[in-house]
Amino acid sequence: MLSWPTNPTVIGKYTPRVEGPSKVTGAAKYSSDVQPTGWLYGMIFRAPWPAAKVTRINLDRARKVRGIKAVVAVRDGERTIRFYGEELAAVAGTSKQACLDALRVIEVEATPLPFAVNEELAKRADAPRVWPDTPNLSEPNVREKGDVDKAFADAAVVVEGFFTTQIQLHQPLETHGNTISVTNDGITCWASTQGVFSVREGLASHLNVSQEKVRVITDNMGGGFGSKFGPGVEGGLAAQLSKIAGAPVKLMLTRFEESLAVGNRPSSFQNIKLGATADGKLVAFEMNAYGTAGIGAGTATAGGGGGAGFPAPYIYPVPNTRVKQAHVAVNAGEGRAFRAPGHPVASFGMESIMDELAVKLNMDPVELRLKNDPSEVRRREYTIGAERFGWKQKYKPPGSSPGTIKTGVGCAGATWGGGGRGTQAEVQINPDGSVEVRCGTQDIGTGTRTLVAIVAAEVFGLSPERITARVGDTQFPPSGGSGGSTTAASVCPAIYDTCTRALAELQKRAAMDDVHGSNWKGACKKLGVNPLVVHGEWQEGLSSSGAAGVQFAEVEVDTETGFVKVKKVLCVQDCGLIVNKLTCESQVNGGIIMGLGYALYEQRVMDSATGVVLNPNFETYKLPSFADIPEIEVVLLDLPERGVIGVGEPATIPTAGAIANAVANALGVRVPSLPISPARVLAALGKIKPTGAAA
Amino acid sequence: MNSFQYVTPRNADNAVSLASDGRFLAGGIDVLGEMKDYIVSPRLLVNVKGLPGTQDIVVGGEVWTIGANVTVAAIEHHEDLKRVFPGLQQAAAEVGSPQIRNVATLGGNLAQHSRCWYYRQRDLRCAKRGGDTCYARDGENKYHSLFSGGPCISPLVSNLAVALAALEATVVVRRGGKDVTLTIPELYQKAWDEVTAHNSLGPTDLMLRIQIPNAGRRSAYQQVSEKAIFDWALVSCAAAAKVDGRKLSHARVVLGAVAPIAYQVEAANELLEGKELDDALAARAADLILKDADPLAHNGYKVPIAQALIRRTLNQLVA
Repeated sequence: MLSWPTNPTVIGKYTPRVEGPSKVTGAAKYSSDVQPTGWLYGMIFRAPWPAAKVTRINLDRARKVRGIKAVVAVRDGERTIRFYGEELAAVAGTSKQACLDALRVIEVEATPLPFAVNEELAKRADAPRVWPDTPNLSEPNVREKGDVDKAFADAAVVVEGFFTTQIQLHQPLETHGNTISVTNDGITCWASTQGVFSVREGLASHLNVSQEKVRVITDNMGGGFGSKFGPGVEGGLAAQLSKIAGAPVKLMLTRFEESLAVGNRPSSFQNIKLGATADGKLVAFEMNAYGTAGIGAGTATAGGGGGAGFPAPYIYPVPNTRVKQAHVAVNAGEGRAFRAPGHPVASFGMESIMDELAVKLNMDPVELRLKNDPSEVRRREYTIGAERFGWKQKYKPPGSSPGTIKTGVGCAGATWGGGGRGTQAEVQINPDGSVEVRCGTQDIGTGTRTLVAIVAAEVFGLSPERITARVGDTQFPPSGGSGGSTTAASVCPAIYDTCTRALAELQKRAAMDDVHGSNWKGACKKLGVNPLVVHGEWQEGLSSSGAAGVQFAEVEVDTETGFVKVKKVLCVQDCGLIVNKLTCESQVNGGIIMGLGYALYEQRVMDSATGVVLNPNFETYKLPSFADIPEIEVVLLDLPERGVIGVGEPATIPTAGAIANAVANALGVRVPSLPISPARVLAALGKIKPTGAAA
Repeated sequence: MNSFQYVTPRNADNAVSLASDGRFLAGGIDVLGEMKDYIVSPRLLVNVKGLPGTQDIVVGGEVWTIGANVTVAAIEHHEDLKRVFPGLQQAAAEVGSPQIRNVATLGGNLAQHSRCWYYRQRDLRCAKRGGDTCYARDGENKYHSLFSGGPCISPLVSNLAVALAALEATVVVRRGGKDVTLTIPELYQKAWDEVTAHNSLGPTDLMLRIQIPNAGRRSAYQQVSEKAIFDWALVSCAAAAKVDGRKLSHARVVLGAVAPIAYQVEAANELLEGKELDDALAARAADLILKDADPLAHNGYKVPIAQALIRRTLNQLVA
């Protein structure tokens, strides 16, 4: 069985991204940059109502707009609209303005229907139904073990809390969309996707053509976070438009559209009760929760579905538990897998109640976790992290920080699965010594292309820049979608296997024992005219699953204005063998920043009265900017014996819980809802009446 | 956006005569955004950016003037303004992002339209846009006004207006054939009175410059937002006064983002006259300013923020 080298020279170092220069110079082409000859703009016409019965769509006037080359309805005949922004039709034209003009003359005959966009209203028995045959509020999913009632009765300490989390939008900087050319010879799609092969499958099935006719390319990609696996409604429409127009169509969503119909992290409303012994051992847990994934959860994808369910009591084993989770349908865009689906939601609620318990027990929160966390790795991380963070010096009883601007600290833990699976690759060694490695994975911005170069360079004894890593093309050997933190663990073993085979083959052909490094060029020259091409695939034993991480946060809270400033986040993260420290740390930084947005700023706001999204832009859907980002310290446990484990998801899980606990520690009262806005801080401090749905 | 014509007039009178058919364009930050969202569709854009004299900052003397087309960045980085009117400079530095400040103008910042998310929602037509309903009053109103005179509760969000009100600046406007001078309260009075108005300027009223009396007063500006930078103020506060030790005279305290106007209460200004500033006095001034606050379902938190800002801004004056 293959094993990773014990003394690597390239693996585990700080290697800059191989595509870095092309990205900073603007030379790198994203799917939204591609401009095939004769391309047309595509745009979507969306329902302006949250619920309606559509009886007729008239596209005649749109078709006649100057510059318009194709017009298509999503569906003919009557249909029911279930959320604001649902797709009705699409147009393609020679300019963006032509498309905009066409959208404005589409005529729809429709009868608006009653709707419910906010969870608490939608779950009432008399609320308008999103789906006619089903109540909005589902029967709860019940998981029970032990004797919960007795355990609570016997518990020395019981704490209760009600915690809520908001709808978070994925908001990739590159919006959803594709540039698609449909011809009689076949279909080429430049997709902004996390899965070129899943887009190929989706397009082939949508257009009813064989898969070999469809080529999907993703050269560079501007983020997806779980929401970009298939071609989407927008991809199907772009393909239809291209077919009608006989020209390539670029249909990238606008920022406005990103807020409506391409997924989100479902909300949660969590009633939690937790019981423990006097010395802090968890004995009883009860949860009643619900949340919404909009009209429903999106298609299950790598990394999980987009449903409203989530793990509870998360990372802590409690012998007696009763968990009831329901989902409530609302007239709003669907949930989709979102970076660690369910986990940030679970972590926020559970880690919040853990700190409430620690306060009641008068116990240090880290100590409470060390006592109850079954993961040996995480316990080690808490110990390392507490030391580096200065936890003992910084932790003070809740609310005891003096003055107007109070400081506080908090911590939280996370788990994630990940793991590798079938990926194939091929390497072409040219007689001039140049090397191309081809793999049908896609680099979604995380540095996958660089990992490919690193692993190949390691095997061949070359530097990474001498390897040309080609990814993001369905003409390359297949690899899975980039989701569930599976990419590194899937791709790296495949490249390692492929290159190891190629190395052996080159030794044989060159009749040399050592073709590494300085011998490389000479050995390749002996290939003659034809390059050497070798295939390989993912092998057992080079990767594993199960990433554990903990985070510590330090905050300052202005008790007069409610403003929260995160001063520092320290993360201790296990992800097995680290292939590239630089991109690994970058992934962790990104996860923490996304968690910071979840903790303090982000929230999709729906209007109950009109059913529209009120903040479909970066002006009022607030993301962290540089000034909001704290000092971030990343401590990676390097555990090479575990093989490669993905890190994309785990790092975003505990951030919000740690920040919420730090805020509670600073104030001496808890803000039980995300995002922790100035309004909510001031409400928690009793300085105003509590507010309603909006943050 | 809908198609439009574009014209660059030679002088102010020329601009005014053209504008009856369109809108003035300077930095374009606001008007182009409204056009892209189809909130307004002027047939003609009158480019006033290069009008003679409107890009100058004239310093020294009893009255300093800043041309309406001076960029927010130019105000932010002007050393003399920073020294003499620090409150104005601090307000400018909090506008948008560096990219926005490089393009946005003083006149545009003062005349910008409502940021209410119902007003800006492309598929709604609220009362400010000529519809029947103010959706915000019973809806999601966390960013809305604590004080209002009419049905529209969209607050004034111009940072510069708040700072200039405290400095008792005036605005010179070409109206008809002549120049009229408006105080900052006059510039916004109509937004308080009339639901569709964003300010008191008519469609052909062209802002030329602002005038700031250099009365030897200190000034300060503070705001609280949800994010550290590049965010609208939840509440902003500007103050100006002559300061002798801790004794204030001719003090003005103004709040932004809490009313359709730059909000001030004369009784609070009078209270401060001739007094030594301490926390108790600042708190009493805040109480007077906030006496008539009428919080909605979701914006009550603005009251404690305003209290804190009034105290802090006054303290900054004497620091």
